[in-house]
Amino acid sequence: MGFREHSARVRRILGIVLAVLLLGGVAVVLVAGGEQDKGTATKTVRGVIGSEKSEFFTDPDVVKALDARGLTVATETSGSWDMEQLPLKGYDFAFPSSKGPADELRAAAADKALAAPLRPFYSPLVVVAHSDAARVLAGNGLATLNARGTSGILRMDAYLAAVRADRTWQQLKGADRHAELSGTLFITSTDPVASNSGALYLAAASYVADGGRVADGKEAVGRTAPLLRKLTQVQGAQQTNSDAPFRDFVSGVGNPLVLVYESQVSSQLIADRPMGDLVVLYPDTTVNSDHTLVPLTEGGRELGRLLAEDPELRRLAVRHGFRPQGASPEFAEAAGKHGQYLNQTLTGVRQAPVPTGAVLRDMARRARDQGDTA
Amino acid sequence: MRTRTLRRPLAGLALALALTATAASCSSSDTSTGGPTASPGAPGTLRVLASSELADMTTVLEEARRATGVTVRTTYAGTLDAVEQIASGRAEKEYDAVWLSSNDYLRLRPDTAGRITGETPVMTSPVALGVRPGTVARLGWDPAKVTWSQLHRAVADGKLTYGMTDPKRSHSGFSALVSVASGLSGAQSALRDEDVERATPKLRAFFAGQKLTSGSSGWLATAYARRTDVDALVNYESVLLSAPGELTVIRPSDGVVTADYPLTLLTAAPAAAKESARRLTTYLRTPEAQRRITGTTLRRPVVAGVDPSPRLDREVRRELPFPGSRSVADGLLDAYDNTLRRPSRTVYVLDTSGSMGGERLTRLKEALSELTDDFRDREEVTLMPFGTAVKTGEVHTYTVDPRDPARARDAIRVDAGRLTASGGTAVYSSLAEAYRSLGASPRDTFTSIVLMTDGENTDGMAGADFDAFFRGLSEGQRRTPVFPVLFGDSDRTELDRIAELTGGRLFDATRGSLDGAFEEIRGYQ
Repeated sequence: MGFREHSARVRRILGIVLAVLLLGGVAVVLVAGGEQDKGTATKTVRGVIGSEKSEFFTDPDVVKALDARGLTVATETSGSWDMEQLPLKGYDFAFPSSKGPADELRAAAADKALAAPLRPFYSPLVVVAHSDAARVLAGNGLATLNARGTSGILRMDAYLAAVRADRTWQQLKGADRHAELSGTLFITSTDPVASNSGALYLAAASYVADGGRVADGKEAVGRTAPLLRKLTQVQGAQQTNSDAPFRDFVSGVGNPLVLVYESQVSSQLIADRPMGDLVVLYPDTTVNSDHTLVPLTEGGRELGRLLAEDPELRRLAVRHGFRPQGASPEFAEAAGKHGQYLNQTLTGVRQAPVPTGAVLRDMARRARDQGDTA
Repeated sequence: MRTRTLRRPLAGLALALALTATAASCSSSDTSTGGPTASPGAPGTLRVLASSELADMTTVLEEARRATGVTVRTTYAGTLDAVEQIASGRAEKEYDAVWLSSNDYLRLRPDTAGRITGETPVMTSPVALGVRPGTVARLGWDPAKVTWSQLHRAVADGKLTYGMTDPKRSHSGFSALVSVASGLSGAQSALRDEDVERATPKLRAFFAGQKLTSGSSGWLATAYARRTDVDALVNYESVLLSAPGELTVIRPSDGVVTADYPLTLLTAAPAAAKESARRLTTYLRTPEAQRRITGTTLRRPVVAGVDPSPRLDREVRRELPFPGSRSVADGLLDAYDNTLRRPSRTVYVLDTSGSMGGERLTRLKEALSELTDDFRDREEVTLMPFGTAVKTGEVHTYTVDPRDPARARDAIRVDAGRLTASGGTAVYSSLAEAYRSLGASPRDTFTSIVLMTDGENTDGMAGADFDAFFRGLSEGQRRTPVFPVLFGDSDRTELDRIAELTGGRLFDATRGSLDGAFEEIRGYQ
């Protein structure tokens, strides 16, 4: 870890120097002015990204910042685990939401040295809840809430015990006052076979259920399979990206508990969007989504480097709720303003390590009953 | 208030027709199956295969065009049809994106997985019941508090009847089926086969109250408007609130299934189209576009800080999980078709006049043979071939016995194979004969007549005589619609008039295939 922080610091300093130079360069171009320069000077790079980064890449300021650094980025979204099934010929990069699919994409890439992944920013998985639901969870020992009741910790042990016992909302104290709180208690997650956040949810749950052990093979997967199957099967149809269930949540439809990336929530807060009766619950054991860019061409590599090192782009990543790698005063400042929702220092939150891609995939398939037949 | 809600969708439809590249005819615009053969990748144009109710997005899409420069060219289709087009790879030849009410059904089909990418939910609308205010008052209901059990009770007591689209063809119908099965089985999580089994008696009682079925929500609304004996419609909240005639919307308090309208890119779409789609979805997610959407279409916004239209009730509902496996979904559909719904009773009035000889008769035989596998358990099917008059000796009626469904199907196939072409074309006399054969007192079935003819009326009753005959029928008999199929040299105006008179709908087999038309009609039987 020490090594990583150190190198990050060096990189940041380099980044600042580079940015100053670049900004100078841009100013020159703008002054020397030619609008005609704009179209020809930039290089277009195309990539597939996880849906949660879509708004980052379409932000006009991000577009402008990249343009100033000579890049036009064209993106389309896909489930992280679906990416390797896409015909990636003609693309410059793939940008899944965690290391697992990135490793597999790299393994499948023609030029493995070029495809060495870059991890510009990350975001922990959180559970968004409507306040009635959060209060019922707290009243039954499944969560603890801050004084304002807008943020808290989800007790994974207690939650998994409730799931094992097929607990319904009706069986929880205080739920009877809310007609919408009925049926089996569960957290909505995405399809773990296709989508990253759903798979990481299973990783965190299996880590807790197996006494703090990271699943390392068939036997370990087998130990938690019945529980993971339950977490998944009660949900019925699952979406293949984390944007959709979050939109349902915002729209006031869908399950009252939804697993999302912190960035999806913090971007809304940082944009000062009114969040209604939102409560952000940090699972006491969670997984960070390491947004990992796999370059497929030099252009893709350049984009990865800029996202990781360029201060302006790091600042813009924070606007979209991401936590830049290494020390990030920008995030601390932005999150500080929304401290009633965001747990900036992740106090009381433990990081579960993520199993290898193969193990995680096995876990996901068995949870969705596509196990040995797949 | 009422005239406003009426005018809006009509204006929307008119615009939709103007925008659609080759809008065929008014009668088929909402379920058009043959897509336009547009030039691919015209700059700034996005070719979208969309759910039929999205015709109400025309105003919003026109504003989107002004803001983004992206022109959306829409072709409307039912969910099942769209899913088939995606799975077969046909969709990607003609479209860049699909925009269905939900992708839940699509995801149950593994063969569609690699063909779609990038889903952006744009707005939501739950499936609900729209009930005539008089009925709500008669039942003494508080619309905010009605449960699925209460709905079941009212239907079982004969106090509530309704119309609903065919769950095999439309997402609103399927969502309704999922909701009612969840609600009546007491399932606490996603439906399983045993939940459906347990709820079967209650479900059968509930579906006994379904008096109207339809392959498209557009026709359902039209058919409902003609009927005074149907109390309610099942559809999306947005459609119910926009329907002509006031309806009280009931979102059952124990749970609903909600559509979230994801604009979904096809993997094979060219890069320029994908860029257009991105610009469009970014725009549609802006607060001002979201405000327009909820204001004009009465769907719910998906962007934080934008309030739903004041006409939408804000009380939260439990979301009933959609089945997660194809086997449960297919099991539910199968149960609906073969045991839960009221059986179908269908008369096929088939033109086998001299002009049908040769290739046309071969096509008819093939189409009928293809169709026989679609007949449901308990369905009564009559083949009534005609020439100068009904060919009485060849008229046979079969009922599909659930214990041996193959027997009736085989017999129908054999009969179809024996058809011969001879004589003139007595369209109206034969239709009158079909009504007579169905009897004066209607049975508890979905009763309909399919008319297939390749030419104009030459013998027997004239059009005006048939009008008089039809008006002389009992009210119950007049509820049996005729679904004419345009084929060969048949007269569109004449057939349209028959559909109009009897409350049916015209199907065009001159553009597509005869078996395609027969298949589509199944949704209305």
